Amino acid sequence: MASIRAQFEVPSKTKTWSLALIFIGVLSLIVGFVTKGMSSDEHTKTVFWGTLMYNSIFFTLICNASMFFICATTLAMGGWQIAFRRIPEAISVMVKIFGPITLAILLYVVLVDHNHEIYHWLSEEAKVDPILKGKLGFLNPTFFAIWTTLTIVLWIFLGARMRKLSAECDEAPMDAETGTKFIWRNTVSASLFIVWFALTVASTIPWLWMMSIDAHWYSTMYSWYTFASSFVSGMALVALWVIFLKNKGYLEYANEEHLHDIGKFMFAFSVFWTYLWFSQYMLIWYGNIPEEVVYFKHRVQGAYKGIFFLNLIINFICPLLILMKRSAKRNYTIVTFMAVLIIFGHWIDFYQMVMGSLSKEEVTLGWFDFGIASLFIGMIIFFVSKELAKKPLVMKYHPFLKESIIHHT
Amino acid sequence: MHLKYESQLREPLVYGEKDFHQVTEDICRPIEAKPSKLWYVGFFIAVALLMFGFYSIYSEVTYGVGQWNLNKTVGWGWDITNFVWWVGIGHAGTLISAILLLFRQGWRTGVNRAAEAMTIFAVMCAGQFPIWHMGRVWMAFFVMPYPNTRGPLWANFNSPLLWDVFAISTYFTVSLLFWYSGLIPDFATIRDRAKTKLRKKLYGIAAFGWTGSTKHWQRHESLSLVLAGLSTPLVLSVHTIVSFDFATSVIPGWHTTIFPPYFVAGAVFSGFAMVQTLMLILRKVYGLEDYITLGHIEAMNKVIVLTGSIVGVAYLTELFMGWYSQNKYEGYTFWYSRANLFSPYGWSYWGMMACNVLSPQIFWFKKMRRNLFVTFFMSIIVNIGMWFERFVIIVTSLYRDYLPSSWSIYYSPTIFEIGFYLGTFGLFFTCFFLFSKYFPVIAIAEIKHVLQTTGESYKEKVGGIEAMQGEEFAHDYAH
Repeated sequence: MASIRAQFEVPSKTKTWSLALIFIGVLSLIVGFVTKGMSSDEHTKTVFWGTLMYNSIFFTLICNASMFFICATTLAMGGWQIAFRRIPEAISVMVKIFGPITLAILLYVVLVDHNHEIYHWLSEEAKVDPILKGKLGFLNPTFFAIWTTLTIVLWIFLGARMRKLSAECDEAPMDAETGTKFIWRNTVSASLFIVWFALTVASTIPWLWMMSIDAHWYSTMYSWYTFASSFVSGMALVALWVIFLKNKGYLEYANEEHLHDIGKFMFAFSVFWTYLWFSQYMLIWYGNIPEEVVYFKHRVQGAYKGIFFLNLIINFICPLLILMKRSAKRNYTIVTFMAVLIIFGHWIDFYQMVMGSLSKEEVTLGWFDFGIASLFIGMIIFFVSKELAKKPLVMKYHPFLKESIIHHT
Repeated sequence: MHLKYESQLREPLVYGEKDFHQVTEDICRPIEAKPSKLWYVGFFIAVALLMFGFYSIYSEVTYGVGQWNLNKTVGWGWDITNFVWWVGIGHAGTLISAILLLFRQGWRTGVNRAAEAMTIFAVMCAGQFPIWHMGRVWMAFFVMPYPNTRGPLWANFNSPLLWDVFAISTYFTVSLLFWYSGLIPDFATIRDRAKTKLRKKLYGIAAFGWTGSTKHWQRHESLSLVLAGLSTPLVLSVHTIVSFDFATSVIPGWHTTIFPPYFVAGAVFSGFAMVQTLMLILRKVYGLEDYITLGHIEAMNKVIVLTGSIVGVAYLTELFMGWYSQNKYEGYTFWYSRANLFSPYGWSYWGMMACNVLSPQIFWFKKMRRNLFVTFFMSIIVNIGMWFERFVIIVTSLYRDYLPSSWSIYYSPTIFEIGFYLGTFGLFFTCFFLFSKYFPVIAIAEIKHVLQTTGESYKEKVGGIEAMQGEEFAHDYAH
């Protein structure tokens, strides 16, 4: 009986690649800061900060989606995911790094820079604008700073609690009694995270961080839409890491059965995202109220027309047609391709959500956007692989491990 | 080798020392015995209510919709409230049979048959309301789009009300097929056990000549998969389109983008509450406690607390946006007509909040989830709350529109509106009583399938495997 390879060692090539990406990212950041961030033109400056905002928010949310996945499967008493659960765990650690980065960027924009090109509610005009004036109880720097800080701190803290519990699976075998207690403690922790997640990601945070850029506009669907977009990309990220580790000869217990189920999540939540996209778009189009259609007007008919349809093609048509087949979800190459495509597609979605409001006349997508994305991707590769090497990849004594080993979809 | 195994930490889905024969015996017993007195009493009450419903509809058709208290702004009242309420209830069955199948929730097998039956009956009740609301019901066929002699007068394809016709009839058809195809093997079982000729003949017809051959099972399995695939989007689409009935308008309180997913969550919420109500009675009366276990009840209560909380987030989102939008009309609807307890209908908004958002939170506690009395009480509360939700949405948005001169007087239903609603209860329970007498209320074949993995007696036998550690286990059993 050959022993399994539970201890991950970061391949030197991976490290080099991640550092190269980080290097490109830092370089772009510096050049971007000099050419855009320090520009005397307000619009160019806005593009600089907007790009940092949507990237940091997007990558924080997709890493946080991993912890959501862990907590949701824990509450549902899922067993199948145990074979690869250490992966979402490692990804969720990124919230510790990306969370403070996002916090710093947002607080700089709101508290230091008072950038009213980004958040109109920061301008003097907002105090007299009949609509904005009424919103200042929610859209004000103090509340923004407190709620944003609290949100990120609790995501980190509650996520860390879950990971700490997970470490107990490496210690000693559990009998029925300790197993039951262990599951119970996990359930309690997971529900705390889920409740906080509902109060932030599924409601207040997308309003505050992104929807308030269009300070006059509102849509009740906005937060659930943002959640769907980040969750499906989060699942794609998990898929990529599972495949990466499989290719390096780790994760013996995870096989195409598990990949198939991750693929189902990618498929189902792509369709779910489309459902929310359609519901929001169709109702606003059908109602045709000027205050509401203003959001879509330039996105559908103006400069963003291409991005608007690209968004739908990548995030709906492609997953629908390519991932529908059973064999596709079990194929490492296809799932890798689709995972990259989905992450890219939703990154574009976040791009249009934020930049579509900040730069209505022209699409600024270019080297700077890709440079900043490469910084975040580089950090994900660097830190997640480091994190994976810290704990065994298999939750050796988890009470549901055996269910996961014989998992059959 | 393909091993069927699940952790000992999970509760058995079937209790007791059961073999396949015992399962058949337990579930067929009520069908083969004479109905109890209680059954007759219940059935009689249901039929009486149904008759009352007939009378109310007769009066409405004869004298017109004026028999109801609808007025100049409240053009939809109890009728559409009840329609949405019943459609919502009709969501649990397909969710259990399709979505929970995709999520591999083994416990669905204990409750799916009765839940699907409930779904079908609830959709039948729901359909009554728009039909009779037409007034001139003999023109009902106008909703069907076909080349006709009425000149260019076609159904209005731009109207969500027409989408409803398609959505609900599709949903009804697929649910019925799904339910029936599952029943076929079980009908064959009853046919084979039948002692009288008539029984043999009738169940024989119902079983479509099922012999249980491998070929039959194979086709049955692939049909189930196809129907599950069709049902999955239907679970979402039906209530989504019902929500469009409101949300495509520009009425304050109706035109809000979150409506589709929030309606779906609410529908599942109310559907599960109704399943709980029925299951708690069924398991007691038929002695099916070994099959519909406390574990099943607990799982359904978890769905209730989840969907109740999703609905809660949606309520608060709407309320927040009523203020945040700084739209006077939205603000008036949400903060005056609804959230203000002292406005004419404020009581209904707070009734809804108390029943749907606050009270289900007790199901965060395991003790409460497993308490039969609390569960039964809560299932009723949730159904009352979900009725209020539709009433709040419809009436509080309508009774005061943009022009104060056309504000309506307080709307309350007439005896014919109430009678119609009670009549649908009659229809629902008449069908359900007949179902519980003549149909196997638990899917016999499916229970046998999960018995091998999750039956109490089976679980005791796999203690050896349970003690194995991961590596050894993987070596012996992994595929």
